[in-house]
Amino acid sequence: MEIDRGDGRKPNQLRPVACSRGILNRAHGSASWSQGETKVLAAVYGPKAGTKKNENPEKACFEVIWKPKTGQIGKPEKECEMILKRTLQSICLLNVHPNTTTSIIIQVVNDDGGLLPCAINAACAALVDAGIPLKHLAAAICCSLAKNGRVLLDPNKSEEQNMKGFVYLAFPNSIQSVLPEGSLQVGGEPVEHGIITSVTHGAMSVDDYLLCLQRGRAACEKLSVFIRSSLK
Amino acid sequence: MEQRLANTWRMTVNEKKFIETALHSDLRIDGRRPFDYRELTVKFGREDGSSEVQLGLTHVMGFVSSQLVQPYRDRPNEGTLSVYTELSPMADPSFEAGRPTESAVELGRVIDRGLRESRAVDTESLCVVSGKFVWSIRIDLHILDNGGNLVDAANIAALAALLTFRRPECSLGGEDGQEVIVHPPEVREPLPLIIHHLPIAITFAFIGDENTVVIDPTHFEEGVMGGRLTATLNANGDVCAIQKAGGDGVMQSVIMQCLRIASVKAADITAKIRKAVDSYNTERALSKIRRQPASVAVQVTEPNQIEVKDFLSKHKEKLMLKSEEGGASHSDDMEIEAQSSEQDKSRRRDSTSKSFVGGPLSWDPYSKGVDFEELQASIASRVKVAPVEKLEKSRSDEPYKGESPKLLADSSTSLLSDEKAATGLQIEKEKTLKDAVKPKHKRKKKASTNTDAS
Repeated sequence: MEIDRGDGRKPNQLRPVACSRGILNRAHGSASWSQGETKVLAAVYGPKAGTKKNENPEKACFEVIWKPKTGQIGKPEKECEMILKRTLQSICLLNVHPNTTTSIIIQVVNDDGGLLPCAINAACAALVDAGIPLKHLAAAICCSLAKNGRVLLDPNKSEEQNMKGFVYLAFPNSIQSVLPEGSLQVGGEPVEHGIITSVTHGAMSVDDYLLCLQRGRAACEKLSVFIRSSLK
Repeated sequence: MEQRLANTWRMTVNEKKFIETALHSDLRIDGRRPFDYRELTVKFGREDGSSEVQLGLTHVMGFVSSQLVQPYRDRPNEGTLSVYTELSPMADPSFEAGRPTESAVELGRVIDRGLRESRAVDTESLCVVSGKFVWSIRIDLHILDNGGNLVDAANIAALAALLTFRRPECSLGGEDGQEVIVHPPEVREPLPLIIHHLPIAITFAFIGDENTVVIDPTHFEEGVMGGRLTATLNANGDVCAIQKAGGDGVMQSVIMQCLRIASVKAADITAKIRKAVDSYNTERALSKIRRQPASVAVQVTEPNQIEVKDFLSKHKEKLMLKSEEGGASHSDDMEIEAQSSEQDKSRRRDSTSKSFVGGPLSWDPYSKGVDFEELQASIASRVKVAPVEKLEKSRSDEPYKGESPKLLADSSTSLLSDEKAATGLQIEKEKTLKDAVKPKHKRKKKASTNTDAS
C-alpha cells in the first residue's frame, strides 16, 4: 500500500532543504531556511539591556516577533510566537547573560506547509549566526498521519490539509560521539533524544503518535547532520 | 521603558563631522559621488507578485495579493489599491513591533500617492460588476534591512511586484449573470495588471549647509541629514509626487537641480526594472510546461522498484558504519534489510530509495539518485555558495550524468531523458543540499520495525 504524494516523494522523504546565514546587515544574526517551497527568514538582535516586566531578571529573556506574509497579526501568529519562544528558551543558556532581552524576528516568505518547524530551524541558525550561547540546536520536522494510517514526513500545504492529523516536532540535534558511549543514558534512552516541542493538530491515536515520534526523531537526526555541515 | 531607549543607535559627533567634511570634497563614506545611486538588484519569488529588492544594504520584499470586494460608493467602477508597509523590527534595532511609527506611515503614504494619484495602475480594468464586485489590490511591503533610503527601495519593490502579479480571471455567470466565477490558474491563465507607467521615487538628502545634496542616502547619512526630498517621477518626465516634509530650508535652484537629476535616474531605474521583469516573464513562460497534473507522477514512479544489487551492498556498508555511531534504530535497519521475507516489492523500494528519487516529469529536483557520501562532501563545499544562488532561479540544466554515476537501471536513464525533454529547465541549484536530508535509513514502514526499534 503505497501513497503517491503529489510531488512523487516517498513517505519518508523530506523536501529539499537550504539554509543560508548572514544575509542581513543590520541584524546581529540572520538566517534563511527553506524546505521545499516553504521559506522563512529569521533575524536576531541581542542581547539588549533589560528584561520585560514580568520576566525573571536573573535569566536572559527572549522575545519572538512573527511576521506573516500578508495580513494582520492575529491569534495564530501569537501562538507561533509563544511556541517558538518556549522552544528557544529551552535550548539557550539563560544564565550567561542575565537581565537581557534577545529578540528574534521571523518573517514568513512563503508558506507551503510545515511553517513552524521551518521557523524553528531558521531561528536556531540565526541564533548561531548571532553568537548567542546555546546548549544545543533544535532540529524540527513535521510528521503527518494520513487517513489510511500511513505516516508522511514533511508534508506540503495541500498534503497537510488532507491529513487526519499532523504534529510538529522539535528534537535536540544529536551529538556525535565525542562523549564516551553510555555516559548520557538515562533509563536506556540517550538523554539527548528528548523531545523539545511537540504540537499536534487533528486527532491521532497514541500508537500513531508514537510512530510519528519515531519517524520524526530519525528525520531530525538527518536534519542535524545537514545543520552541522551547513553551520561550519 | 528607558532601557529600550538605551538600546537605540545614536551617531557620534565624530561620525557626523566626518561625513560632513568628506562631503565638502564630494566624497561619501561608501565611496560614491554625491549623485551616484547604489547598486540595485531586483529578484522575484516563487509566486506571482512577490519581489525582493536590494539597494546597497537595504533589503525590501513586496507581495501583491488581490481580493474581490465591494467598491467605494463614490467610485463604483474602479478597483482599489492599498499599500501596507511594515517596518519590521528585523530591519533596524530601533524599529518596534506594534503600532506603525510616523516614518512607517509616511513611507506608505508616499508610495501610495505615487501609485494612486498618478494613475499608474489602471483601476477601471479591475472592475468586474459595477457597484458590486471589484478587485482590491493589496501591496504588502516588508522592510527587512534598513541600509538607508527605504522609500526608494520599497517603491521599486512595489512596482516590481505589481508588474509580475497575475490576478485570476473571472467571468460572469449564474442564473442572472450577476454571479462572479473566479477561475483557478490551472483552468484559465491569470491576467496581469494594466500598468500605464512606473513612478519611481528618488530621494535626496540635504546635509549640513551650503546646499550639499546627496542622492540615495545610506542610514549613516540619514542620521546626519538636515532635510530630505523625495521626488517621484516616471520615465516620461512627469512628476508624480514630491515630498519634502520639513527639515532645512533649501534654495529653489537646488530643488530644480534635484528634479533634473531625478528624471535621469528615473529613466535608468525604469530600464532596470523592466529588464528584470522581462527576464522573469520569459522564465515564467518557459515554466508553463510544468503545469501538469500530479497523476503523471504516479505512473512514472513504478519503474523505480528495480533492485540494484551492488548498490544495496554498498548501502549495507554504510549502514554498518552508521550503526557504530548511532543508536539502536540503525542496526535495526540492517536486520530488516537482511530479512527479505517481508513484502519484497515495497522493501526493495525502501532500500533503493536512497539511490532513487521518485520522479514526476516536471520541475522535479528529486529525480536523481545521489550517493550519500558524495553529497556530504559536496555540501561542505557548496554551502557557502548557497545564499546567493538560492535567491535566483537558475535555469541551467542539471548535469544529471555528472552527479549520478550510481544510477544503473536502464529505466532510470530513460526516465531521466524523458524528464529532460519534457521540462527543460526549472531546476533549482540547491539540489545537493536537500539530498543530504533524504532519510536513507528509514525503513520503518512495516509494523515489525516497531518491535525491532523499541
